[in-house]
Amino acid sequence: MGIAVNMLNGVSYGMILFIIASGLSLIFGVMGVLNLAHGAFFVLGAYIGLTLAGKGWGFVLAALAAGAAVGLLGLVLERVFLGRLYKQVNEQVLLTLGLVYIYWNAILWIWGPKSHIGKAPLALQGDIVLTSFSYPLYRLWIILIGLAIFAGLWFLEERTRIGAIMRAGMDDKQMTTGLGINYPLFSSFVFFLGAFLGGLAGFLGTPILGIQPGLSMDILLIAIIVIVVGGVGHVAGALLGALLIGVVDAFGKAYFPDFALFTVYLAMIVILLSKPSGLLGRRVNS
Amino acid sequence: MNENAREMEIRHKPFTVYGAYLLLAALCLFLPPFLPDYAQSMIVKVFIYGIFALSLNLLFGYTGLFSLGHAAFFGVGAYTAAILISRLGIESFWPGLAASLIGAAICAVCFGIVALQVSGIYFLLVTLAMGQLLYSAAIKLRSLAGGSNGIVAIPYPNIGLGFTMTPGSFYYLVLVFFVVCVFLLYRVVNSPFGQILQGIRGDERRMRALGYNTWRYKFTSVIIGALFAGVAGDLSMYQNGFVGPGHLDVLTSTSVMLMVILGSDRVFWGPILGAALVVFLEYFASLYTPERWPMILGGAFLLSVTFLRGGAALHLVRLWERLRKRHGIA
Repeated sequence: MGIAVNMLNGVSYGMILFIIASGLSLIFGVMGVLNLAHGAFFVLGAYIGLTLAGKGWGFVLAALAAGAAVGLLGLVLERVFLGRLYKQVNEQVLLTLGLVYIYWNAILWIWGPKSHIGKAPLALQGDIVLTSFSYPLYRLWIILIGLAIFAGLWFLEERTRIGAIMRAGMDDKQMTTGLGINYPLFSSFVFFLGAFLGGLAGFLGTPILGIQPGLSMDILLIAIIVIVVGGVGHVAGALLGALLIGVVDAFGKAYFPDFALFTVYLAMIVILLSKPSGLLGRRVNS
Repeated sequence: MNENAREMEIRHKPFTVYGAYLLLAALCLFLPPFLPDYAQSMIVKVFIYGIFALSLNLLFGYTGLFSLGHAAFFGVGAYTAAILISRLGIESFWPGLAASLIGAAICAVCFGIVALQVSGIYFLLVTLAMGQLLYSAAIKLRSLAGGSNGIVAIPYPNIGLGFTMTPGSFYYLVLVFFVVCVFLLYRVVNSPFGQILQGIRGDERRMRALGYNTWRYKFTSVIIGALFAGVAGDLSMYQNGFVGPGHLDVLTSTSVMLMVILGSDRVFWGPILGAALVVFLEYFASLYTPERWPMILGGAFLLSVTFLRGGAALHLVRLWERLRKRHGIA
């Protein structure tokens, strides 16, 4: 029983990690930009969603609105700032580092330092009995949502024209831009979608993880570990990495509570030493 | 453009520049006793973070290693000396300094072996994560490192010359270390070894084709950078009288990176200027709006990355060159 509960905890936490990491991995893999402000996007999404839910918006509507609001911020990042730093990888990362300070302080300014916990939608509150134990319904639902998002992203990547542009861009960006594709529009779409996923993950995570302004750096680090472990450039890499880290974290917390974080970092170091491009990674051309 | 700036560095210095150095040295030596305590401690902070930022720039600006885990060496340097003082009761300054150097070097070996497996942005990801590993270790190791409170009430260092150190004499101790560290780092980056590092930053594949074992040079550069960061951490621990997980925090790594970028990663003394800018800006922000300091810092940083490309020192060097040409100062 203990094992089953830990496993479910790990998988549901892993699914939240998947949603945030898939956004980070998308922007990094396709556009070659490592967005250090992605953790702040997660936190912003959570606060915006909670504020809207507090005003009586439904859960789904609040989640989508939170994602869209953060997605717009991603669009601003791409249009206003990154356009000025074309092909300067270090400067692009440094710019997002400056944004971390600004967003973090703005969040503190607007919502204050207190931590909040979100409420699951009414239909999903409470526990469900699974053979010998009962388990929070919302956590099971998150697993399904994560799988649905995975399916959607996989379909987008493998079966649509946009996905074909993504894969082509990862192989040879210059050639792709030379094919008459509206690359600026495409790049805006990728930034919007990546940031959207970050914000959405933040709000969906509030009933499980809660939210506080300081979370932005912690969640960014975990998301980074996920994409390092899983590999960048493919949505399956983010899923595998997230589930692995989620499960390692859950079992670590259960069996070595003092060293839970170390188990996660240790997993990263072991994988990095044996397979530097991550479990399912492809090289990022930046 | 970076090559230009560096050439200006190396080229023979005009007489007026030596005059300026002399004036600066005189100010550093004789002014502080007449300054109020807070100003003196701010200058000490500039010296300490100046060493720290220069050591990061050896990795970032010279070798091209984008590290966001540099606080690890700073923090390990601070913690090892503090543990020696408070847990083992060794009060002399020198064993603590040696321990800081050894601790930072061991930490650098571990970082180097793991993080140099990858390059480019991945190096950043891995150093960031490894730095955070040490941060959480410091919080968990309650008996050794004091958990989230850290190790407190550390007195000013006893350097064994038979007097009790005061803030005034501590200033001169830090000044001596600052001068020695700046001199050593200047020699490092202008040595053949330093030239090879710059070659690696420019084009690592070409350096490898020329027969250089680039991994070994990068590894050595990480270790040298870590040693200087460890010294800075040790001094910072004495200045604050305590060491806590904050020394190892990601935000320490990122703010030292901000100092390097604001000051300039292309001019040798740029990071020192960056440290001074951040320390003084923070002071003025604390007078008017302490809560908004991170936003001001982030905003200054955004401006510097998008508009003032290359950092403040590079622009000063260019301005100086232009003035010299126009007015014929030699």
